[in-house]
Amino acid sequence: MFFQPAIIALLFASAANVVVLVGVSPFAVAIVRHWDVHSGSERQLRLERRTYLMSALVTFVLGVQLVALLLFVFNADRMAAMFVGAMCAVGTLNVNAYGFPALIAQMAVFFAAATWLAVNHVDTQAPDYPLVRTKYVWLLVLAPLLIAAFALQWRYFLGLKADVITSCCSRLFSSQVRGLSGDLSAWPPLPAMIAFYASLGVATITAAFVAAKQRGGYALAIASLGAFVMALAGIIAFLSLYVYEQPHHHCPFCLLKAEYGYVGYWLYVPLFLATASGLAAGAVQRFATVPSLRAIVPATCGRLARVAAVGFAIVAIVATVIVLRSHLILIGHVSTGVTP
Amino acid sequence: MIELSGIRKAFNQGRENEFWALQGIDLKIPAQQVTVFYGPSGSGKTTLLTVVGCLARPTVGRVTLKGTDISGLPERFLTGIRRRTFGFIFQQFHLIRGLSALDNVMLPAYPIGGDWRVLRARAEALLDQLKLGHRRAARVEWLSGGEQQRVAIARALINDPEVVVADEPTANLDSALSKEFLGILETLAGQGRSILLTSHDPMVVESSVVQRVITLRDGRIVGDA
Repeated sequence: MFFQPAIIALLFASAANVVVLVGVSPFAVAIVRHWDVHSGSERQLRLERRTYLMSALVTFVLGVQLVALLLFVFNADRMAAMFVGAMCAVGTLNVNAYGFPALIAQMAVFFAAATWLAVNHVDTQAPDYPLVRTKYVWLLVLAPLLIAAFALQWRYFLGLKADVITSCCSRLFSSQVRGLSGDLSAWPPLPAMIAFYASLGVATITAAFVAAKQRGGYALAIASLGAFVMALAGIIAFLSLYVYEQPHHHCPFCLLKAEYGYVGYWLYVPLFLATASGLAAGAVQRFATVPSLRAIVPATCGRLARVAAVGFAIVAIVATVIVLRSHLILIGHVSTGVTP
Repeated sequence: MIELSGIRKAFNQGRENEFWALQGIDLKIPAQQVTVFYGPSGSGKTTLLTVVGCLARPTVGRVTLKGTDISGLPERFLTGIRRRTFGFIFQQFHLIRGLSALDNVMLPAYPIGGDWRVLRARAEALLDQLKLGHRRAARVEWLSGGEQQRVAIARALINDPEVVVADEPTANLDSALSKEFLGILETLAGQGRSILLTSHDPMVVESSVVQRVITLRDGRIVGDA
């Protein structure tokens, strides 16, 4: 079970992350303690020269983590066929207690990596290393998360046993289940749909504003986070029903399956990219007043906002196409009280 | 214009054969001046020239150009400064064999962009100024030493640099060609360019074109006249 190409790739990527992080940590501490751009000391000049290599290494491993989330989810879905009771990625992730925590940690790493990469990009655009100390402090703060993500993946993949009878998504995403997934499944479709489109609309408009005016990164970050949460809630509450054309099947993971035209990827990839871009815009906005970044931050914010606007718009368009093409008439039934 | 403070430069640092080529250079080089770094082999003059011209980074100390620190700049910015501010004339010329004199002159301007026809006209004008217009289409390996040096000078000037840096420019030239080079130098100085040379050739050091001679020995400045 352990020797699946995707699992090996994921563990390798995550382990590389930890190895690089451990390797870079002493350098990061040295930067935090001794960085002084006005000094011409041997140590300062050595730090300046080494920062290229260190930043390049961290950029590479964090860049890999952006792709690793997609591979993690794809692998979880693909491996469902190997477990008794599993119908989709939910079954695979439920094989042991570390599946969902590993997924959540991987998502957190995805967003953390995106924001760090954005800050690093901005820093490398200026001639005076304005954010060197900030980005290495940030890296040290992220270290526990990155190590935890590796540990969770390791425990999860190591604990995958083919003889375990796991539960399918209907046991988790059902209005009968207690907890967040149950609450979301029980959320009436109409308010869920309103919240879904409203949050995406607000995020898209905010992103378009930031792209045009090149300011307002904080607002975009908040709107993106809101849209991300509401979009996931909306997918569980109503959109999945339209895809499956069943009023009780709320699983957000079955959307990734071939029988539904891999429509989940059309929703999740732009949603995650847009959210990461929105959060990154907020992260770099903080440095808009740094003298050497006065022109760079607005331009970067604008570019990130364009990605966010396009991403959120795609999610809204794909969702609308799904609803319009579906044979399920959910809202009409709700209004007459037929839907459970 | 260019200021060096506490410059030290080590090679093979931390190894058995560690060598400090520069051992604490403090220097101010005003604009529009012809300055020669003079000294015997191993005195550190070429190393100093490469540090000033952003071809090497100091191990300790800072180099500022018009008040901006250039020794600590990230490489991407340093490349731009090298291209636009400095024109280099190397001792061995380092021309690209197989290319014509004109192509060699135009080469450093390609990364900057701009209209190709304007660039070609500028390169031809430079070759004409250096009395090499008739040899523009000749491959550089077919040219004599003096002609090759003039191509190297034209190449150094193609991006219209403020500072021309030349490492032992007369080392491979006979007296007549050295005199010719000093004549070219006078013209460049007359155009308001700063010129930095290394040399241990008395003909260069004693030339009336040279305004300042900085003598180096064992990586230290021992004379400034």
